[in-house]
Amino acid sequence: MKFKSQRVAYLFFATSLLLFTLQIVFGFIMGFAHMGFDVLHDYIPFNAARASHLNLLVVWLLSGFMGATYYIVPEESDREIYSEKLAVVQWAALVIVAVIAIIGFHMNWWEGRKFLEIPRPLDYLVVLDILLFLFNVGMTVWNAKRFTTTVSVLLLGLVSAAFLYLPGMITFESQVLDSYFRWWVVHLWVEGVWELIMGGILAFLLIKLTGVDREVIEKWLYVIVGFTFLSGILGTGHHYYFIGAPEYWLLVGGVFGALEPLAFLGMALYAVTMARRGGMRHPNRIALFWTVGCGVMSFVGAGFLGFAHTLPQVNLWTHGTIVTAMHGHMAFWGAYAMLVLAIISYAMPQMTGRKLFTGWLPEWAFWTSNVGMIGMTGAFAVAGIAQVYMERKIGMDFLAVQEAIEVHFLGLVLAAALLSLGVGMFIWNFIQYGLPNDEAVTGA
Amino acid sequence: MLSKSQARMFFFGGTIFFSSIFILLTIDTLAKVDERQNVDLLTPSVIRGKEIWDSNNCMGCHTILGEGAYYAPELTQAVSRRGVQWLTIFLRDPAAMFPGQRRMVDYDFTDAQIEDVIAFLDWIGKIDTNGFPPEPDLRPPAAPVVASTATSASRPAYFDEVCVACHAVGGKGGGVGPALDGVAKRFSEEELHRWLADPPSVRPGTAMPNLNLPDSTRTELVRWLRTLE
Ligand code: HEC
Ligand code: HEC
Ligand code: HEM
Ligand code: HEM
Ligand SMILES: [Fe+2]
Repeated sequence: MKFKSQRVAYLFFATSLLLFTLQIVFGFIMGFAHMGFDVLHDYIPFNAARASHLNLLVVWLLSGFMGATYYIVPEESDREIYSEKLAVVQWAALVIVAVIAIIGFHMNWWEGRKFLEIPRPLDYLVVLDILLFLFNVGMTVWNAKRFTTTVSVLLLGLVSAAFLYLPGMITFESQVLDSYFRWWVVHLWVEGVWELIMGGILAFLLIKLTGVDREVIEKWLYVIVGFTFLSGILGTGHHYYFIGAPEYWLLVGGVFGALEPLAFLGMALYAVTMARRGGMRHPNRIALFWTVGCGVMSFVGAGFLGFAHTLPQVNLWTHGTIVTAMHGHMAFWGAYAMLVLAIISYAMPQMTGRKLFTGWLPEWAFWTSNVGMIGMTGAFAVAGIAQVYMERKIGMDFLAVQEAIEVHFLGLVLAAALLSLGVGMFIWNFIQYGLPNDEAVTGA
Repeated sequence: MLSKSQARMFFFGGTIFFSSIFILLTIDTLAKVDERQNVDLLTPSVIRGKEIWDSNNCMGCHTILGEGAYYAPELTQAVSRRGVQWLTIFLRDPAAMFPGQRRMVDYDFTDAQIEDVIAFLDWIGKIDTNGFPPEPDLRPPAAPVVASTATSASRPAYFDEVCVACHAVGGKGGGVGPALDGVAKRFSEEELHRWLADPPSVRPGTAMPNLNLPDSTRTELVRWLRTLE
C-alpha cells in the first residue's frame, strides 16, 4: 500500500468476514426450519433468524464497501486519510448498531419491514455513522491533488446510497405507500446506486490488476453506470405491479426491468475484456479471479435470473415465492459478496506485504464457494418452481406444498455446506495474512 | 469512437432525465393510489392492525401483497379465504388450528388486538392489486358434492367458517380431524354436546381445540351433525 492510513481498511474487512460468518449461521437455521427442524423456534423464531440473516448481509457488505473506500481513496487521491481516528470511531459505531440490532431482533424489537428491520432509534445512529464516514472520505478527497473518475463514481454511489436511506425512515399508515417507498431503498440501492459503488471498485481493481490504460477503463465505467440508471430507475416499477399502484407500472416496470440486465452484461463484458487485454499477467491471479468472477456471476444472478421473473406475466405467478429467494441469493453473491471478497483478496497482500495468494487454499476457496452458491441457487430454483406450480397454478394448500418441497431444502443445506467450506477457506487465508504492517508501506 | 466526456454526458444526462420521469410518475401514483387502496376504509382499527403487524415483524415469516418471507402463508386474501370467525379462533391460539404443523409465534393477543389485525388484513384484501394473487388456472375440476340435499339444506354457516378447515364432509374440507360423514352413527346427541362444549376435557390431549361455542351455535351444529347418517 502507498499510505500508512490505508491500514484502517483491515478493521472493516475483518468485521465484514466475521459478520458474514454469522449471517451464514442464521442461513442454516432457516434452511433447517424449512426442512421441518425448527428446533430453535422458542429462542430464535424464523422471523428473527431472517431479519438477522438479511441485516447482517447488508452490514457486512457496507463494512466491506467502507473498507474498500478507505483503501482506494488514499491510493487514488495520493494522500493519507483525513483522520484515521475518525475512521476507527465510525467503525465502532457501525459495529455497535449491528450488535444492538441483532440482539434487539431476538427481543421482538424491530420495524417489521423486510430489509429495513432496524428499529427507528438505531436508524439515526446509522445516519450519524454514515455522515461521519462521508465527512472523513470527503475531506480526504477535498484537499487532494488528484480526483479520478473512479473515485468520483465511487463517491457518488456512497453519497446517493446514504441519501436513499432516508425514504425508509418515513412512517406510513398505508401498507401500499409503505411498500412503495421501501423499494426506494431496497431496489434503488441494489439496482441503482450500489452499482456505482460496484463499478468504482471494479474499475480500481481492473486498473491495478490488468494494467489496461486508465482512460479506457474509466470511459467504459461511465457507459456502464449510465445503463444502470437508464434502466434501473424506472425499473423500480417491477416491484409496483401488485402492491396497489396504478396499472401503468406493469408497462413501465416490464419494459425498463427487462433492460436492467444490460448493465450487468456490461459489467461482465467489462471485467472479462479488460482482464483479457491485460493478459492476466498480474501475480495476484486470485484477486483477478474474484474480480472477473464478480462481473460474470452478477450477470448470471442479477441479470439472467432477474430477467427470468421481471416480466409482469411471469411475476404474477412467482411474486413472493421461493423463486425470488433463488434470484436474491445469486444476485447478492455475484454482485456484492464477490466484490468485497475481490477487494479483500487484492488489498491483503498489499497491506501486509505477504504474498499468500498462491497455492491451493485461495483457489479452492474461490471454486468451492462458487460451486456451493450455484448449488444453492439450483435448490431454491427447483423448490420455487415446484411451489409456483402446486400453490399458485393448481391451488394446493400452502402447508401441503411446503411439506412436498422440504426435500429440496436438504439439497439447499448440503450446497450451503459447500459454500461455507469455501468461505471458511477464504477466512483462513485471511487470518494467515496477519495484520497490516508499516514495512508494507511503499510511499507515493 | 465514443470519448470519455461523451460517456460522462450520457451518464449524467440519462440519470437526470430518468430520475425526473420517475418523480413525475410518483406524483401521479400518489394522486391515484387513494382510490385503489380505498383510503376511506383506512380506519383507526386498520392502522392499529398495521402497527401490530409491523412491530411483531409478521413479514419475517409471511408475505403480504407478495412481499416478505416464504415460510408461512401469503396473507393478502386471508380474510376471504378463511373468514373472520376462523381467523379469530386461529389468532387466539395458532397451534390449536394446525396441531403438529410448522409453527407460528403464539402472541397472546387480546380480543381487541385480534380485531385490529383482522381489520388490517381485511383492508389489505380489498386493495386493487392488478389481479394478485391470481386464480389457480390448472386447478383440477372440483369433485361433485356427494352429500345428500336434505343435509346440506340445514348445514350451519359456522361449520363452513370454522369446522371445515379441519373436517371434511362429503369429500370436501380439511384433514386435521376425521371426516364427519356418518358421525351420527358414532355419537349420540348428548355425546356430541359434551364433545363440542370442551373436547380436551372429554379426551385429554386431543388436537381438537375448545372453540368456546355459544350454546345456540352448539345446538344448531349438533342438530345438523345428527343428520349425517
Ligand atoms: C383445529 C382443527 C379442528 C377444528 C377447527 C374442529 N375440529 Fe373437530 N376434531 C378435530 C380432531 C383432531 C378430532 C379428532 C379428535 C381425537 O380423536 O382426539 C376431532 C373430532 C371431532 C369429532 C369426533 C369425530 C369422530 O368421528 O371421532 C366431532 C364430532 C367434531 N370433531 C366436530 C367438530 C365441529 C362441529 C367443529 C366446528 C365447530 C370442529 N370439530 C372443529 C379437529 C378439529
Ligand atoms: C415464526 C413465523 C411466524 C410469524 C412471526 C408469524 N406467523 Fe402467522 N403463520 C405462521 C405459520 C407457519 C402459519 C401456518 C399455520 C400454522 O402452522 O400455524 C401461519 C398462519 C397464519 C395465519 C393463517 C393463514 C391461513 O390462511 O391459514 C394468519 C392469519 C397469520 N399467520 C397471521 C400472523 C400475524 C398477524 C402475525 C404477526 C403478528 C404472524 N402471523 C406472525 C408463521 C408465522
Ligand atoms: C445485484 C443486483 C440485484 C440484487 C442484489 C437483487 C436482489 C433482490 C432481492 C433480495 C429481491 C427480494 C426483495 C424483496 O422482496 O424485498 C429481489 C426481487 C426482485 N428482483 Fe432483484 N436483485 C438484483 C438485480 C435485479 C435485476 C437486474 C432484475 C431484473 C432484470 C431483478 C428483478 C427482480 C424482481 C422482478 C424482483 C421481485 C420478485 C418478486 O416479485 O417477489 N433484480 N431482488
Ligand atoms: C450458506 C448458507 C445460507 C443458507 C442456508 C441460506 C438460506 C436462506 C433462507 C432459508 C432464506 C429465507 C427464505 C424464506 O424466506 O423462506 C434466505 C434468505 C435470504 N438470503 Fe440466504 N442463505 C445462506 C447464505 C446466504 C448468502 C451467502 C447470501 C448473500 C450473498 C444470502 C442472501 C439472502 C437474501 C438476500 C435473502 C432474502 C431473499 C428474499 O427475500 O427473496 N444468503 N437465505
Ligand atoms: Fe428490483
